[in-house]
Amino acid sequence: MNGHAIVVSAFIIAWLSASLRLAGPVLLAALGETFAERSGILNVGIEGTILLGALVSFLSSYRTGMIWTSLLVATLAGVTVNFFLAWMYVSVRASQVITGLVFNVFALGLATTVYRLVLGGSAAPESIAVFQPLRVPMIGRIPFLGPVIFGQTAPFYLTLLLAMVAQFVLYRTYFGLALRATGENPAAADAAGISVHRMRYLGTLLSGAGAGMAGGYLVLAQVGLFRETIVAGQGFIALAIVIFGRWHPLKATVAALVFGACDALQLSLQIFGNKVPPQFLLALPYIVTILAISGFFGKAVPPAALMKPYVKG
Amino acid sequence: MKHTLEMKNIVKHFPGVLANDRVSLTIQAGEIHALLGENGAGKSTLMQILYGFQAMDSGDIFIDGRRIHLSSTKDAIDLGIGMVHQEFMLVPTFSVVENIILGLGQGLGALLDLPKASSKTRDLSDRFGMALDPSVKVGLLPIGMQQRVEILKLLYRDARLLILDEPTSVLTSGEKDRLFAVLRELRKSGRSIVIVTHKLSEIMELADRVTVMRDGRVLGTKSIQSTSQQELAQLMVGREVNPHAVKPERRSGEPVLRIEELCVNDEGGVEKVHAVSLEVCAGEIFGIAGVDGNGQSELAEAILHLRTIRSGRVFLAGTDVTRTSVAQHRAKGISYVPADRRGVGSVAEMTVADNVVLGLQQRYTRGPFRSVREARSSAHRLAERFGIRGAGIDSVAGKLSGGNLQKLILGREITSGASLLIVDQPTRGLDVGAVESIWKELLRAREQGTAVLLISAEMEELLNLADRIAVLFNGRIMRVFDAPFVSVDQMGLLMAGIASPPGSASVPFQESQRDETF
Amino acid sequence: MTKLFERRLIPADSPGAVARTTALALLAAMAVTAIFFRYYGASPIQAYFGLFHEPFGTLRGFGYSLVRAAPLALVALGTIVSWRSGFYYLGFEGCFLVGAAAAGWLSLATVPGSRLGPLPLALFLPLAILFSLTVGGLWAGLVAFLRVRLGGNEVLISLMSNYVARFFLQFLVSGPLRAPGSLPETPLLPRDTWLPFILPGTRGHAGILIAVAAALFVWALLEKLPLGYELVVTGFNPAAARYAGIEVDRRMVFAGFFAGGLGALAGMVEVLGSQHRLMDGISGNLGFVGIIVALLSRLNPLAVVPVALVYGGMSVGADAMQRRANIPSSITFILESLAVLLVLASDVLRFYKPNFSALRLFKLRASDREDSA
Repeated sequence: MNGHAIVVSAFIIAWLSASLRLAGPVLLAALGETFAERSGILNVGIEGTILLGALVSFLSSYRTGMIWTSLLVATLAGVTVNFFLAWMYVSVRASQVITGLVFNVFALGLATTVYRLVLGGSAAPESIAVFQPLRVPMIGRIPFLGPVIFGQTAPFYLTLLLAMVAQFVLYRTYFGLALRATGENPAAADAAGISVHRMRYLGTLLSGAGAGMAGGYLVLAQVGLFRETIVAGQGFIALAIVIFGRWHPLKATVAALVFGACDALQLSLQIFGNKVPPQFLLALPYIVTILAISGFFGKAVPPAALMKPYVKG
Repeated sequence: MKHTLEMKNIVKHFPGVLANDRVSLTIQAGEIHALLGENGAGKSTLMQILYGFQAMDSGDIFIDGRRIHLSSTKDAIDLGIGMVHQEFMLVPTFSVVENIILGLGQGLGALLDLPKASSKTRDLSDRFGMALDPSVKVGLLPIGMQQRVEILKLLYRDARLLILDEPTSVLTSGEKDRLFAVLRELRKSGRSIVIVTHKLSEIMELADRVTVMRDGRVLGTKSIQSTSQQELAQLMVGREVNPHAVKPERRSGEPVLRIEELCVNDEGGVEKVHAVSLEVCAGEIFGIAGVDGNGQSELAEAILHLRTIRSGRVFLAGTDVTRTSVAQHRAKGISYVPADRRGVGSVAEMTVADNVVLGLQQRYTRGPFRSVREARSSAHRLAERFGIRGAGIDSVAGKLSGGNLQKLILGREITSGASLLIVDQPTRGLDVGAVESIWKELLRAREQGTAVLLISAEMEELLNLADRIAVLFNGRIMRVFDAPFVSVDQMGLLMAGIASPPGSASVPFQESQRDETF
Repeated sequence: MTKLFERRLIPADSPGAVARTTALALLAAMAVTAIFFRYYGASPIQAYFGLFHEPFGTLRGFGYSLVRAAPLALVALGTIVSWRSGFYYLGFEGCFLVGAAAAGWLSLATVPGSRLGPLPLALFLPLAILFSLTVGGLWAGLVAFLRVRLGGNEVLISLMSNYVARFFLQFLVSGPLRAPGSLPETPLLPRDTWLPFILPGTRGHAGILIAVAAALFVWALLEKLPLGYELVVTGFNPAAARYAGIEVDRRMVFAGFFAGGLGALAGMVEVLGSQHRLMDGISGNLGFVGIIVALLSRLNPLAVVPVALVYGGMSVGADAMQRRANIPSSITFILESLAVLLVLASDVLRFYKPNFSALRLFKLRASDREDSA
């Protein structure tokens, strides 16, 4: 290969690899959120939940050095915190958007305060125990595909697995059927003997689990540290991915990859010492999201009962 | 296996009303039992208790002499009792079979087995002549077939007693026949059917026995052979039905509204109004008769331009208003009382005074500012004149009862000084007292020279109020009658889509000429 | 066993009931925040006192409270106009930033030797207000347009647009408008373009007056003008609005425009009154805290300025607390957001009626037990 081709292929490999890497956490959050929205709940609070999951996983890894446990703890933290949100959405029937948004501010305040509290006066640790990229023997050395697909960290593959599980659960089980009915026509679900309340609680808790785990993913497999700005709107991007993916776990996976690609573009273009101001590329994923939500890439029909509180009788 | 269901001395209170007053009812196996009564007679409540949705205050229910306890709809289904509602409980994006198996999963990890469920569904459908394809998305099915999915849901769960609530109110005549055929098959198989209705001709056609309820009590149960429509009507209403109230001579003037070849589609592109032409003169009430869903509401909305008109024209006092905005329509003198009083005709969260301004907000002004004072005095006047009770003018409109809310809306539209008043189902769901007030006001508007377009599914209402009546079926005007010369039978046939030569005696029942493309 | 609380069918909605449950929620929020104070070794009473003493007990602090309150109030007013019209716009961070950018750019354009040349404040200020209003209006109006024309979900679009605005500002202060030096910020804005200080001895500037004027204007719009009536009906029930002849789409776009303008004005006020230069991070989450102010004002424009003062004051007090006692100012985020969440949740309390006779019985039984013990 000549020099030019080597540079281009290096760029593409770096770009694709980064795309997958960056797509992981948002996809994870989007998978959880898909369950919430399919049950009729728009959980804007996943942004804050990811942050709290990130914090918890950081503290856990800092103290214990155990990465899988920390990921689990982050997930549980997400679920716990979303109990309150689920209560607000389903039982109090408060406005979902407002509650979620205010919760995000709360989560920011809480995370910042607790982080500073725990660190005390000491400086942030240099590093904590994190996931290392997997080294798959043999397959990992296939030129091009190898480093891109097989050089990711364990949570990435876990996320892909969860995407397939989510797809299966949503479309092949009675639970998934009941959940989807709750989001399309809660009265019909109720008449069929399904507890709309219970389904919506479960949907919200699942989005909490996804978001919490995504926070752990961010800290433990992507950034390696905790910062208050670690989420930076990725929770909102996850919401967009749900729409982009038509509330469908496998399509959401594709959507997440598209986003990861946009995000990764600005990192990878550094190779070329590009003239485009970095801010434009940083803004690109968000602009693409806006276009997607506005229906520029085709109209998306949400679950009919999304954001509509359900009152029995 | 013979089943007899017996309800004994059922009592149910709601705040302020005794819905069921020691009601007793027996249903045999293999019979079609009609439950007849006016709005508010208590039949819906009784059935809600039977299928487990409501708890009764006291009373007993026995199946084959064994007392049963119903604390939920699930209990009822387990005992073989199921209800088909007026508003279907279906998920439009799911297929027929998915709707049927919804909620049947046992345990947390239960997997769907669509092929097996589909074949059971198909078998049941074939057995009872329902012609349902399990894989079709329910949202794409016509109403008659959707109703059969509801029935199939119950049969899939081995229901032995099916309750149908006003099943034919949204069906065309062809669909009604198919439904009746299915019900007869079910009866043959030994199942019982309770059909809640107020349509006498259907009861005579389909039922074996009929129980009449009035004001929360059972008046009696009769076998169909031993009774007649007139007797049932009298029992149901408790008084002589007077179809023709006295109304003053019509003194109508110039045409106010003229519609030419109006064609309107709904949001899905389905044509709802086809080449409708009519004229309404000042001082006349022009009635539009038809079963709900035949394009009446779309017609009314199109006249006001709340809906796009595909082709055709609308003239108000000679001026072409087809494409003008809703605000301009109102300014030119069209006012409208919509069928949906809480969702469209009023804003429940605003006060009564603010609702009086709705549609007229550009008029209640003083200079560039709103004139709240004028609005309040108008509200007081309306409340006085139309007898609006239940909330002061500063309470939210959501607190008003249906009748009072309707009086508010009608009052507002009538006193707006419009030359054309369109009313859509003005007395739906209202009690007798409210109905009479509204009728009085409509006649008064007619007296004062307003042109009134009255859309109604209640024949009695049209016969009482209208000077001329057009029957709308499937978006087309079947015929226009001069009120004194119309017969209820003729109207009924036309509303069902059966055209017959004017003045002919009863025509042998024939399949409707309209082709049913589904 | 009689229940302590009976469930009502309809929530109690007298103003007294609402006030009581709101107060309860606020107290609960303060109690929870007090726990954090404890962790830092401070007594909650002292902490709360400190939180409010600086901004309301000292002149200097009060001046800062005015400074913080002005942009918050403007964002809150924007929220009120858009939300009450049914347009759930959340892009106030973005409006703030573009408004600040517009004002900053205009200000730099009056530097001697550049495009406009020095202008007297009386000329510059109206120009800046107009320019910011327009820029912010277009920014939010675009989102409204996407909503009415294409059915885009304005909640998500506006959230995303905040990031676009932020990167845009970053670009401006790192490139075209950058001051010589390595920091991503503009040079200090010309003195003539600063908002006048109104409270001698403090940094309190005229922004608060702009906020007060805007509050009165929004109140007049919503309560006194037919246009306001149409906006409110659109917000409650778009179908009824159309029935009433209201052009729902146009009203919503107007609401978006107006709200965006107010949000941009917040940015202008902050730049010309307080920061006097553009820099990355100038918004400091004001766009979201302003929404919270609106919520706590129960979307009532007349309550906005007082509530904004309390919030602004609290953030001043929190900074003081951080300097003196090393308690992070982010605690106020907890207090503010928890207050709103609990107020929202407290609405559910109005469904329950305390059974006072049961309470008395409870007390009686307890005292019985004591006697017999």
